[in-house]
Amino acid sequence: MANYAERVDRTFGDFRRARRALSTPEGVPLEIQIPGHGERMSAFLLDVLFMGAGVFCLYLVLVFLFFSGSPWLIGRTVILFLAFVVRNLYFLHFELAWQGRTPGKKICGLRVISRRGGELSPGAVIARNLTREVEFFLPLSLVFGLGMGNLWGNLALLGWVLCISAVPLFNRDHLRAGDLLGGTRVIAMPRRTLSGDLAERENGPGTREFVFTHEQLGIYGAFELQVLEEVLRRSQGPGNDALLAEVCLKIRHKIGWKETLPPGSERRFLTDFYAAERAELERGQLMGHLREDKNTTEKPALRTVR
Amino acid sequence: MKDVISDIARNVGADAAASVAPAIPEEERTFLRPGASPGGGGKGDAALVLRSAEFRRGREHVWRALDEMIDRVEKRGVETLSAEEVRRLPLLYRATMSSLSVARHIALDRNLLLYLENLALRAYLVVYGPRSGVLVCLKDFLRGGFPRAVRSMLPHLAVALAALLCGALAGYLLVRADPDTFGLLVPGDLAGGRGPGSTREELLHEELFAPWPGFVHAFVVFADSLFRHNAMVGLLCFGLGFALGVPTLILLLCNGLMLGAFLALHVERGLGVEFMAWLSIHGVTEILAVLLCAAAGLVVAEKIVFPGRLSRLENLARHGRAAASAAAGAVLLFFAAGILEGGFRQLIASTPGRFGVALLTGAWWLFYFSRCGRGGDDGKLR
Repeated sequence: MANYAERVDRTFGDFRRARRALSTPEGVPLEIQIPGHGERMSAFLLDVLFMGAGVFCLYLVLVFLFFSGSPWLIGRTVILFLAFVVRNLYFLHFELAWQGRTPGKKICGLRVISRRGGELSPGAVIARNLTREVEFFLPLSLVFGLGMGNLWGNLALLGWVLCISAVPLFNRDHLRAGDLLGGTRVIAMPRRTLSGDLAERENGPGTREFVFTHEQLGIYGAFELQVLEEVLRRSQGPGNDALLAEVCLKIRHKIGWKETLPPGSERRFLTDFYAAERAELERGQLMGHLREDKNTTEKPALRTVR
Repeated sequence: MKDVISDIARNVGADAAASVAPAIPEEERTFLRPGASPGGGGKGDAALVLRSAEFRRGREHVWRALDEMIDRVEKRGVETLSAEEVRRLPLLYRATMSSLSVARHIALDRNLLLYLENLALRAYLVVYGPRSGVLVCLKDFLRGGFPRAVRSMLPHLAVALAALLCGALAGYLLVRADPDTFGLLVPGDLAGGRGPGSTREELLHEELFAPWPGFVHAFVVFADSLFRHNAMVGLLCFGLGFALGVPTLILLLCNGLMLGAFLALHVERGLGVEFMAWLSIHGVTEILAVLLCAAAGLVVAEKIVFPGRLSRLENLARHGRAAASAAAGAVLLFFAAGILEGGFRQLIASTPGRFGVALLTGAWWLFYFSRCGRGGDDGKLR
């Protein structure tokens, strides 16, 4: 299944992510998607933004309550300490309480999971977030502190630390050093909704307008079927008649449909063709020989899904 | 072919009978039996039989029910589920998982397949999500996780200590032999004006028994800057374990060198005992924390260099959590050390008093790391 899904995405030029399988205790492997660097970076920047706002508010409250009128040195100390505590507790709290999501991750549709499957343990969350301190905040403070102290020493240190920050660029799952340590990974979770079944006619299970022969249905395969499904789903609104007509013409030509279609019946024709083709292919799939695409020449050998 | 069909048969059987039956009340159960679906099915003149559509008709309400529950949990947390729903959740989840595995074999409806994959994953993450909040975790961590993690890395702790002592010895000998090397070993900003030119009186009054700077300055400003500086060094020690531990050892040696250089500077002026007291009041805690961080870094390095039977990634994931817990605990130790150093060191301006505090903290850490969390559940933080 996964291979069609990916091929169809590719056909429509959709945003694609790398896919992996996650084994579950139930024995059914689940497909997960690995988010890109940009997605993770934007989630993280959002979190930094939220934390910054939080620290600032806390600071204002504290200064107002306790340290009103004290010198800037103390204010600076308080803010730095607060930032340290807040940024460590923020990730820890949200990743534990919100099932592996911080507010930034939630907005970007990302989630932390355990790489081995099973529960995301507190130890894993501690590990991945403590390392963040070394991966991001430390190089940041080193960069800001470059002017002070021993320049070459700091540059050397920065070099070492950047090696660690660069870990996600050098593995195929985009794991951070923290993910390596904690045995976790971040996945993308786009939300999907269940639409109506296209094979069901809108006006109930009425008669089929168009009937296809066995030979006509044997030309295309599962891949083309799912492309057709996407075309039908995406062209719901008005103004897609030209596209439908074009697709319709191609299919008619390919399967050798001789009769002319009444004008405006393209969608009905395609829907009927989709339903018939799906019934045909699913029957084949149940018997163990699914026709993958139109280029599959002979009866394929037994192929288990995944 | 045979195994696919038997697979399907098994899954369909499990789907209808085992997984769903206990989950769904009697009146709903009839819907789930394949073939007993209401609504007829698409029998047109072409006698179109769409198994996937029938399959979907029979189970859609289970998916929708699960979807609605998961949606609520994702938005507002597990607390929003009623007791009855909590009972139903794993059953609906299992039913959906088996629907998914059947759908993969019998359905070609792309939308349906993608939806089921997505729903099953979301449900999986709720069912196997983290269970405890941050406060419970902190309590477990302090009660057992931290000392257990430390106990699991005693050899690494010994290596780290050896590196620090080597550095200290070298620093001491170098500065005793030639006081001018002090300037080489200790960077200017850390020396703070101390050096071969300092007299005994200067060291005594401006450093060892410096005047009390005031409560806020000592406990807030100084303690905090010490804490953040030390925590940063500690976390560096830990994080640089990823670079095969080489920078970790270098950092330890450097810190040892500085320590030795300072010691030599004071011994030369007959202030050895006073310096040790001045150092140990916070040093017991602080050096312990540095060693813990370094040991954690060395664990990481060891697991990368010598993965044993497992892959490096797997090996790291297994042992990395204990290492990270030790480093996280060390940050708490740095906090305590910062308070001791910034505040109490100047408050207690007597050598025996300082030694007393050092002994007390030392005894406490020894007790804590050797006795706490014994016989506890070791799997939790691993």
